[in-house]
Amino acid sequence: MRLDEPKGGKTLANRTYEIMYIVAPETAEDDLNKLNEAIALTITSQGGTVANTEHMGRRKLAYPIDKKTEGHYVLLEVEGTGKEIFELERRMRVNDAIIRFITVRVDEDRKTADKQKAKRDARLARRNAASNRGGSNQESEQQNAEQNQ
Amino acid sequence: MIDKKPADFDEAAASVDIDTVSEQKNERMPQRRYQRRRQGTFVPDYVDWKDIDFLRRFIPERGKIMPRRISGVSAKDQRRVAQAIKRARSMALIPFVTD
Repeated sequence: MRLDEPKGGKTLANRTYEIMYIVAPETAEDDLNKLNEAIALTITSQGGTVANTEHMGRRKLAYPIDKKTEGHYVLLEVEGTGKEIFELERRMRVNDAIIRFITVRVDEDRKTADKQKAKRDARLARRNAASNRGGSNQESEQQNAEQNQ
Repeated sequence: MIDKKPADFDEAAASVDIDTVSEQKNERMPQRRYQRRRQGTFVPDYVDWKDIDFLRRFIPERGKIMPRRISGVSAKDQRRVAQAIKRARSMALIPFVTD
């Protein structure tokens, strides 16, 4: 099935990805900016949107990659269908300045996390309501009295 | 009337002293389960693979992923933490090994 095809009346377009890439440390500031712009352009030309860009700056690598011990870290948050990710990954693989990249799909994990949080909050609210109803009426009355004073 | 035992009463089993049994058990199994389990390692709903400070709690000196029996987190959380550590490793945020 194609990714851009709607399924059951709802499009599959709404996906969120995190893309992080490491640019070689010897890359000049101008070239780095140019590269970032080119990547952003690749995404938008394929129908995606760059929701967030974060330049994490020059960092020491935890282990050497291609005999390099440092790198410029850039983090993107991209919304789209997955088509632009495919194209972007292809280009990043070809680009020599990018020494490492990773793409992580985050929308589903975030959704489950939100769901769990909502569940926990609801349970907590129910428990609080139950404990307020049973037994601790006196306490709350006392608190009210204190507040009135 | 008091001494009357049920028909299926096992004389042999009854004659074994309960104290000696527990002593034997203790000799055979010395206390191996010492308190290593760290309770209360809070794992958030969304484990962020970029949050190195959090992930470092699950990485002992050698750089390996801390086993669940020591960290004390749930199986589900362990899977998510392990996945996050592996992602961070591949981006050179965390070392694979440290000697």
